[in-house]
Amino acid sequence: MDRRDFMKMTGGTILAVSSGTYAFQFLVASGRSVSGDNIAAGTVRWGMVIDLNKCIEGCTACLDACRTENNVAFHGDNRWDVHWIRKVKAEQKIGTESKEKSILLLCNHCDKPPCAQVCPVQATYKRNDGIVIVDHHRCIGCRYCMIACPYNARYFNMKDSEHWQNEERPKRSHGVAEACTLCAHRLDTGRQPACVEACNNTGAGVLFVGNLNDSDSEVSQLIADRPTKRLREELGTEPKVHYIGL
Amino acid sequence: MEIIFEKLEGKSLAYRMAMLVFAAFAVGGLISTWIVIEKGICVTGMTNRVPWGLQIVMAIYYIGLSAGSLVISGLYGVFGKQEYKPFARIAVWIAMLFLIAGMLSILTDQGRMDRVFVEPFVHFNLQSMFSINPILYSGHIFICVVYLWALFTERKRFTTIIATIAFGWAFCVHSGTGAIFGFGARVLYESPLLPVSFVTAAMASGTALMILLIVGLFKITKRYLDDRLILWLGQFLAVCILVVVYFLFIENAYRAYVVELRPAAMYYLFEGLHSILFWVGLILIGCVIPMFILFRKKTGQTIKWIVFASSLVVFGVICERYVIVLPGLTHPQEILTGMHITQSAIQEGVANYTISLAEIAQALGVFGVIGFLFLWGMKFFKLMPTEAVIYDQIGMIKRNEYQKRREAKSIKSSE
Amino acid sequence: MNIKNIIQCRIGFFAALLAIIIIIYPLGYSLTDYAIANDRAEAQPFLERTAPEITDCVEDTIYMRYHHWELLGKIREEIVRYGKRGDVSLDTCKKCHTSRVKFCNKCHDAISMTPDCFGCHYYP
Ligand code: SF4
Repeated sequence: MDRRDFMKMTGGTILAVSSGTYAFQFLVASGRSVSGDNIAAGTVRWGMVIDLNKCIEGCTACLDACRTENNVAFHGDNRWDVHWIRKVKAEQKIGTESKEKSILLLCNHCDKPPCAQVCPVQATYKRNDGIVIVDHHRCIGCRYCMIACPYNARYFNMKDSEHWQNEERPKRSHGVAEACTLCAHRLDTGRQPACVEACNNTGAGVLFVGNLNDSDSEVSQLIADRPTKRLREELGTEPKVHYIGL
Repeated sequence: MEIIFEKLEGKSLAYRMAMLVFAAFAVGGLISTWIVIEKGICVTGMTNRVPWGLQIVMAIYYIGLSAGSLVISGLYGVFGKQEYKPFARIAVWIAMLFLIAGMLSILTDQGRMDRVFVEPFVHFNLQSMFSINPILYSGHIFICVVYLWALFTERKRFTTIIATIAFGWAFCVHSGTGAIFGFGARVLYESPLLPVSFVTAAMASGTALMILLIVGLFKITKRYLDDRLILWLGQFLAVCILVVVYFLFIENAYRAYVVELRPAAMYYLFEGLHSILFWVGLILIGCVIPMFILFRKKTGQTIKWIVFASSLVVFGVICERYVIVLPGLTHPQEILTGMHITQSAIQEGVANYTISLAEIAQALGVFGVIGFLFLWGMKFFKLMPTEAVIYDQIGMIKRNEYQKRREAKSIKSSE
Repeated sequence: MNIKNIIQCRIGFFAALLAIIIIIYPLGYSLTDYAIANDRAEAQPFLERTAPEITDCVEDTIYMRYHHWELLGKIREEIVRYGKRGDVSLDTCKKCHTSRVKFCNKCHDAISMTPDCFGCHYYP
């Protein structure tokens, strides 16, 4: 046997083994598929209304609640910190009275999410009830979604977080992307998201989460009655977070 | 006349030293990759505002080199230019290796490298450019292997067919890579022109690299190389650069002209480190000086100047890749229309990115792996032609003269 | 034909054999260890009934021993991707098998396997 045959043989072996592995993977994947959704598409569409006029200056109740509920990583370094919801101060570029406003920013759970469109492994996806969520078991950490999101709403776990504030809920390993989940685990069991609860406890009542498809729900009523705005509507991503008094 | 290909001896000091240096690079890259796996992306310069860094820059650069050098092999395979046959094998070999380099760069950039080999194949997302590209890439490598095999076994017809496929595929590969950015949401990425300008830049850098490589290899191994081959490649390179400049101009002129995009264009062209890289690295060093050298009669017809110009282009295209990837990320996205953010928990406004040591080590590591494989292949396969001659009258006369000189020299040295 | 020649002739065969051995080595390693682990006294899983109303596991012991990762994967898929939060989850396991060190790690250590779960999910 000369070198030629050796090459052929090795090549053949590698080809056989790798194709076998892939075939096996596809078989395994097809066997594991779980079908059926919790909700039929179109019945529930979770959305949020934020009444910025009522938001208290300097209050961080919702931010803290989110951090403790979901074990969101905090390292004290603005390069790596993860913020599912964050509060910024902004002022109008043009205008006579330049009053600073506090604005809450979070994932908008777009109806046409660009982040889910670009995810190469379908780790980011839109659930039937409209929540955009990351499957951290699947994310490979390519960070393409962070590039695609026009709202800077996605964050990457650059570092392992040491604290485990809420032992009921998982934290994330380093190397996966994440964003607000609208507390899907709470909504699924009929509770309100942590930020909404915390906000209501302070008595401000800024945040409302509800079904946008149901015209009797609080959020739909608010949207119908009050002038609301969404962030960068011109992009066509159809965000589901509506702001009053932006 | 038959062209004889042979293996490199691989016993000289230079060869061994080069192998050693590449191996050292590779080890360094491995170590830093391990650190990144253990500690997370925080050891690199990337942040939540700037999620892509040097590794992606290098990845698209390598993929560009790959597509470009395949063009050189296409001169023989597709267009039937017999005089470029000596370079065909090296070109395909290099094309294959640089594509592997690109994939390695992307792989080592991922947050969870352990999942990369399973999830993208099991859960395929047709809408994602990142999902389509790996198919193009692995297809490219496969085609390169078949192409090499066709070249080794000297199958004329089959070579033409596979070369044509490879040629087209290389275009797809690079357009796809450009589409990762061009179809993105960022202001400075969004441009249907980007895939096309990616391809032209790739051709320029690939040609430049092949010139460097061919001249260097023939010089070191003391083989005869007909000047006119390189001169023609030099002119081709000049035209490629011209097209690159044209696309760059159109793109930036469009951005500067449209009122909406003007602030972004101003940011791109005149603010920060990347604007220096743009003007000095890309425009001056990468385009203007090489074009000046190559189009000028006196310098454009000398091998030394062409080699110099090529090395400038190879550097300039790295700058080009850098100014494609990073300004688009550091440029702030306008989240709140008509407002500006005064206080925030994350970096608002222009983000900054500094290349970290870990990333440099990783990039060098990938380069080391590829260099090592390249040299190893030169020893293991019959890639290197004994000589590169144009078989016409002038060519034969020149070659004979060269041989006489060589013989005279060897006699002299043996005395 | 001397020994050197024979080795040279068979070099391809040996190389292929080596490649196959390298590829299947980890598999065989864990399989044998798996078999051993089932017999080892120290690998007997630990059980602590803190919830007296629970008398039985969600599936029978043999199924759990050989397929618990499949079950967990399936539950995970349902919860994460479809929002079906049924009554079974990783937290259900915690009710009886209160200690990871005494329960999960027993077998996992014996077959030298480190599941990714506990980096993110809290299991004391
Ligand atoms: S706001 Fe960003 S992360 Fe949230 S759904 Fe839209 S694109 Fe995705």
